[in-house]
Amino acid sequence: MNIIVCIKQVPDPREFSKITIDPVRKTIVREGIQAVINPLDRHALEEALRIREKYGGKVTVVSMGPPQALEACKEALAFGADEAVLLCDKLLAGSDTLATAYALSKAIRRLKPYNLILCGNETVDGSTGQVPPQLAEFLELPHVTRVRRIELVDDGKAIVESVLEHGCRVVEVKLPAVLAVVKEINTPRILSVFGIVAAASKKIIQWSVSDIEADIGMIGLEGSPTRVTDVFTPEIKRRCEIFKGPVEDAVKQAVRRLREIGAF
Amino acid sequence: MPGEVWVYAECRDGRLMDVSIELLGGGRRLADKAKASLASIILTDNVGSLANELISYGADKVYVVEHPLLKTYQSDLYTDALSEAVSKYNPEILLIGATSIGMDLAPRVAARLKTGLSAHVVGLDIDEYGILKQVVPGFGGGVMAVVTCPKARPQMATVRPGVLPKSEKTDRRGEIIAVDVKISEDRIKAKTLKIIEEKPLGKPLEEAEIVVGVGLGGCKPDTFNLIKELAETLGAAIGGTRPAVDEGYITENQMIGQSGKTVRPKIHIALGASGAMQYMVGVMDSKTIVAVNKDPNAPIFKMCDIGIVGDLNDVLPILIEEIKQLRKT
Amino acid sequence: MPFDFTFTPEQEMLRKAAMEFAERDVAPKVEWMDETGETPTELVKKMMELGFGAIVIPREYGGAGLGHIARIAVLEEISRISPALGFCLQIVHLGQAPVIYFGSEEQKKKWLPGMAKGELIATCAVTEPTGGSDVLGIQTTAKREGEHYVLNGRKCFITNVHISNMHGVLAKTGEGPKGLSFFMIEPNTPGVKPGRRENKSGLRGLNTGELILENVRVPRENMIGGEGDGLRVALTAISNIGRPGVNGVALGIVRRCLEEAAKYSKQRALYGKPISELQAIQWYLAEMYVDYETTRLLTYYAAWLRDKGARCDAENAAGKYYSVEAAVRCAHRLIQIFGGYGVMKEIIPQRLLRDAEVLCPAAGTQEIMKLVMFRKALEYSK
Repeated sequence: MNIIVCIKQVPDPREFSKITIDPVRKTIVREGIQAVINPLDRHALEEALRIREKYGGKVTVVSMGPPQALEACKEALAFGADEAVLLCDKLLAGSDTLATAYALSKAIRRLKPYNLILCGNETVDGSTGQVPPQLAEFLELPHVTRVRRIELVDDGKAIVESVLEHGCRVVEVKLPAVLAVVKEINTPRILSVFGIVAAASKKIIQWSVSDIEADIGMIGLEGSPTRVTDVFTPEIKRRCEIFKGPVEDAVKQAVRRLREIGAF
Repeated sequence: MPGEVWVYAECRDGRLMDVSIELLGGGRRLADKAKASLASIILTDNVGSLANELISYGADKVYVVEHPLLKTYQSDLYTDALSEAVSKYNPEILLIGATSIGMDLAPRVAARLKTGLSAHVVGLDIDEYGILKQVVPGFGGGVMAVVTCPKARPQMATVRPGVLPKSEKTDRRGEIIAVDVKISEDRIKAKTLKIIEEKPLGKPLEEAEIVVGVGLGGCKPDTFNLIKELAETLGAAIGGTRPAVDEGYITENQMIGQSGKTVRPKIHIALGASGAMQYMVGVMDSKTIVAVNKDPNAPIFKMCDIGIVGDLNDVLPILIEEIKQLRKT
Repeated sequence: MPFDFTFTPEQEMLRKAAMEFAERDVAPKVEWMDETGETPTELVKKMMELGFGAIVIPREYGGAGLGHIARIAVLEEISRISPALGFCLQIVHLGQAPVIYFGSEEQKKKWLPGMAKGELIATCAVTEPTGGSDVLGIQTTAKREGEHYVLNGRKCFITNVHISNMHGVLAKTGEGPKGLSFFMIEPNTPGVKPGRRENKSGLRGLNTGELILENVRVPRENMIGGEGDGLRVALTAISNIGRPGVNGVALGIVRRCLEEAAKYSKQRALYGKPISELQAIQWYLAEMYVDYETTRLLTYYAAWLRDKGARCDAENAAGKYYSVEAAVRCAHRLIQIFGGYGVMKEIIPQRLLRDAEVLCPAAGTQEIMKLVMFRKALEYSK
């Protein structure tokens, strides 16, 4: 089984409270904040490693990011991935999910043949969850999101469970496919000392936009149909709306108010 | 605005999802502001009275794609159908509910149409140029961004359930348009075999979406029974204060606060808790805090969103009934 | 620009691994350990599986050879959650030290690979009722009988006694400083009896106990170095691995104290505002911050010297001395900040103080540290 795992380096969610906004540039200030592999991507990588342990094959990690993302690639190798590819180029800056999915698809096409592409269902920063389905569209492959269980029938077919609000959807999917996993799928392993030592002799390939023959108009800011026009921190002030008087009225009004503010 | 505002109507088991009705409510406001018509698009095996229902909730038009293969959600076919319909009729805006299925469908459609999509929108507005302003949360909700899609069309957004106001049913008239799109079985590569309903497993306190907190005021046998009933009605996890542990009504594991757990639910309902700091630190990050206490001067009333002054034994039965009524609609 | 205070990517990854292990797997067990005093053997096994036992063993013998800075990072992260388990790990390393520093090629090949995998865990059994600080006061004997030595004696306060399958023992083969020799006792050797388990006030869950040796026959090949080398073997091991290990554990405690103090003072409100706005608390926090930075620098500096291959007995002693004093100080301050809650058993400050106190006599008492440092201090007379 040749498995591709898409990973993204993101700010450590435990340090989110330290994130500030540049009021002039309207961007997020990420300096000084630890970067980690996106938590759900760890689950995706873990699933890939388990599949390789069971069926044999190769696990290649692909990431699109700034040079700092090399650390994430190295970490993925230390977890046990065989090879890592970092797609890094200034021209990719400002990509929204569509442009990102396009660029990733061009990089992944260069890594054929593959049986399976695994991603975390969403990242902790943007939390859109849009890249996996869009990646599948560019690769002309089927996709399933919110996957909590993968059962390989053979190298051409898998049965997966996709989480719904109150249950799950059982899907038979033709491989290769893009599967976006949720945390219920497994418990990711912790880095081991031996893995860290072994990573030193594994390869990290770096590709630029020209290496993947990407259409300039489909990447970066130009290739992004969406624009961020403002960034701000929401004010968390409690409303302190108190309902007194006859109990029945107070409760009914309170419940109505809760519906109005979208809590119920 | 020349084009229409489209709302994707999601239905499961032949019933319209609440979020679709909310989208019609919010969509109506946007359409009126932009002087455009509001339409809904529905993909189904049997539309029955659903189109009329959508009209009664505010749609000027309902586009119907009807085909037996559309009975359950199939990502390939739904993407094909929705994309083709959009390409045919060119709406300005397409809103989809951010349900598990909506989030599976919308991104693929956006990629097919090479247009912009924003996710889990918590605020929507439209400016004088017909540009949709989409407010989205990031970094766990600690940062908000305003996103637009200046050029590509349609402007797409997935909207979080519970954000837009539900529209009221009215006596409206509207147009029902049958849409002819290509639906073929050999396009199915990810086939939904079946849907399995599951009872939500009791989530650990830290992961529960609704947490009920028991304070000293709730530590009487009858009162506590009412609290348990409330929690069950809401599907909520139960936690509480140190006094509640000492009184034996909850276990050490359920204690919230300084020396207990920290919870971040969508709703926290504090019952009979005064609002001592040792407890409040454990619930500060809740999205909405509701407090019930018979003392109008209890500190918690300065730290909650919605407060009800009253005796728990009086308040709880009414609250439980109100919630049961809500659940039915 | 040689004063580089950054960690390498490998060291950072190792730190992350230790932190995740500690927060995910160790944290749920900490209360149980403190309450029962039981050692979580599954966690010890997990640490070995993750390779934490292989950190300082050279690569050519199956170890990771990642060095002492990496070792400290792991000890710090584990001890931040459980000083007891951190100390357990540091003693696992101590048990390897005599072989690493003084073992013959055959001995290294024989034991180090198994030690790297955690299949072999050895104690370093030196202390006895009659001799701890005064190591020459020990009475365990090793009598030569043909190709064997027969060991008899009783060791006390030995860490990991009940979870080790090998024992490194310092015994008398003669009289005086040149009369001590060091032996490695292999698994399943008859006559080796772990004795009573100690019930400590702190570092509970760390296995400490007696080792009884009754006519234990040890082959000559198992002696580390030659007859009379024992004192040097033991003291080098303790100085190079044991003391820095205590350092690493104490660093974890100091950091935890600072974190808990900072968190609590922001949340706890008195007089209508968080106590972090009261000057008395601000000064406590400032003092703890200085203690943390100093402890951190001393600890990693000594480890850096070691990784360079430089002699650093005084620095190791200084690190152990300072870090333990700082841990006790910071834990005591933490109790003051928490007020009445500080001494409640289910809240952390009192445990950190008990853990810090137990570190005082480990790897040599604070007074012995001063003797080591004194010699270095006197060098400045030149």
